[in-house]
Amino acid sequence: MSAFFGPLQADGRVPPRQQTRVAAFLVSAHGALARQFAVALPARFDAAWQTELNAQFYRESEIVSLLVRATAWVPDLALGPMAASWEMAWLPAPIEGIADHARAQTIHLATLAHAVHAGIRPAALLPTEANANDPFVMALRRIEFESGRLLQAQILFLKGPDLLPFRDAISATLERRHAEVRRLWHETLAGVGVGLRE
Amino acid sequence: MPFLSHGSYRIRYELDGPANAPAYVLVNGLTQYSELWGTYRDTLIARRFRVATFDLLGQGVSDKPALFIDQDDHIAVLHRLIGELGDGPVFLSGISFGGLIALRYAIEHGARLSGLVPMSCFSELSPQLLLIGNALRTGLILGGTGYLQDLLLPMNLSDQWLKPLLDKLDSVKRQGWLVNDVYALQNLMESFLDFKPLTPQLSSISVPTMILNGEFDFLTPRALHETLRVEIPDSALVIIPRAYHAFTLEKAALTADLLARFAEDVLAGRWQGNKQVLIAPEDAGGDFSPFPAGYDHLRAIPVQRPAT
Repeated sequence: MSAFFGPLQADGRVPPRQQTRVAAFLVSAHGALARQFAVALPARFDAAWQTELNAQFYRESEIVSLLVRATAWVPDLALGPMAASWEMAWLPAPIEGIADHARAQTIHLATLAHAVHAGIRPAALLPTEANANDPFVMALRRIEFESGRLLQAQILFLKGPDLLPFRDAISATLERRHAEVRRLWHETLAGVGVGLRE
Repeated sequence: MPFLSHGSYRIRYELDGPANAPAYVLVNGLTQYSELWGTYRDTLIARRFRVATFDLLGQGVSDKPALFIDQDDHIAVLHRLIGELGDGPVFLSGISFGGLIALRYAIEHGARLSGLVPMSCFSELSPQLLLIGNALRTGLILGGTGYLQDLLLPMNLSDQWLKPLLDKLDSVKRQGWLVNDVYALQNLMESFLDFKPLTPQLSSISVPTMILNGEFDFLTPRALHETLRVEIPDSALVIIPRAYHAFTLEKAALTADLLARFAEDVLAGRWQGNKQVLIAPEDAGGDFSPFPAGYDHLRAIPVQRPAT
């Protein structure tokens, strides 16, 4: 099993079955983040940091829109149950050591976003000979690049002074989130012949 | 591929060469990965050394903590790796970020070492280095690993090295880009946000120490290495001609030879640091030259040192 997409089509495009499976996963993950940021967005802002919530919501929505249009979709019967398991995974889970519900919700969203933005590198799956003019290839590069920038809000929040007293709980929750997202991502890729190191 | 454990994390390492031979442990720079020591492995094994390389926590194939890496983690990992080497002589060398880890190790566990080789290194953040470091971190945040590489390549390598590769730089950068994640590199860089100068503790390093500095290194210029030379008692500063910060990559054959010669001299009782300033040969196997007497090695033009 290769660590990259392929074998590529004659014109250097990623096979549609691989495009479909990977795009479905990314739409599910970034779509969940868009929905959760939308819920977290107040109608009126009263703090400067809330402007970042607005940016995160629109960037996540942009990623979903981009994938919907750039992917060469093909029917994939396995997607139904897979998508259900993905959607379940994005739901909030209790955070040990954090009793305050509102704070726990915020930490859940930040850790999920961190795991998706940091742990999922779709452009790293592209072999060197991938067609740079293909919209799917361009979309994956853009998503990975934007994820690196979006991630900064999560890093600032999770490493920030407000959460310093909860450092161990935050670290443990984040590592669990990373492991879970990584497992789902690897399973998704393995189903279309792409194998990443555990 | 063997792994060490550090808490719940796994550290990828490699041990090559005869098991009962004196060992060299090589510590990566920030964006490095252990395969880049290939020439050193071959050269040092051919000179009857054992060679240990590893990916730092947060780097390459080692685990990447999601949020926090402390400098203490690097020292603990290094200590564990050196513990794998048995009781024989151990020489420790590191480049840049890895040089700093090697310095800290020598301060805290110097008794376990037979020799130390900090390369392109520093013991404190000068204003220039602090600001450059901050700018590199911002570059990583805004532009990703690829942009950080774009900044580091021309800063740290010579025109002679870069020119034949200009039309294939993407392939030069690709492996480093693949194995290094933005968040993990950022965590590594941020493990230095609470950096405390090591200069006051350098005098406690009692092992023979060869400090290597590229002639044209402007990321960590001569003055930063001079602090090491002045403070470490049994040290010598060796200037690598026509070299920039990443001379371990550009002049691997020469540097590997210098490492081997240093360890051979120490083991044979020939090493004399004397806080000398030497100029390395241009090529492996050549002779060292003393820096011309009376001239100031901290200047880029031949200025005579004031009489003392």
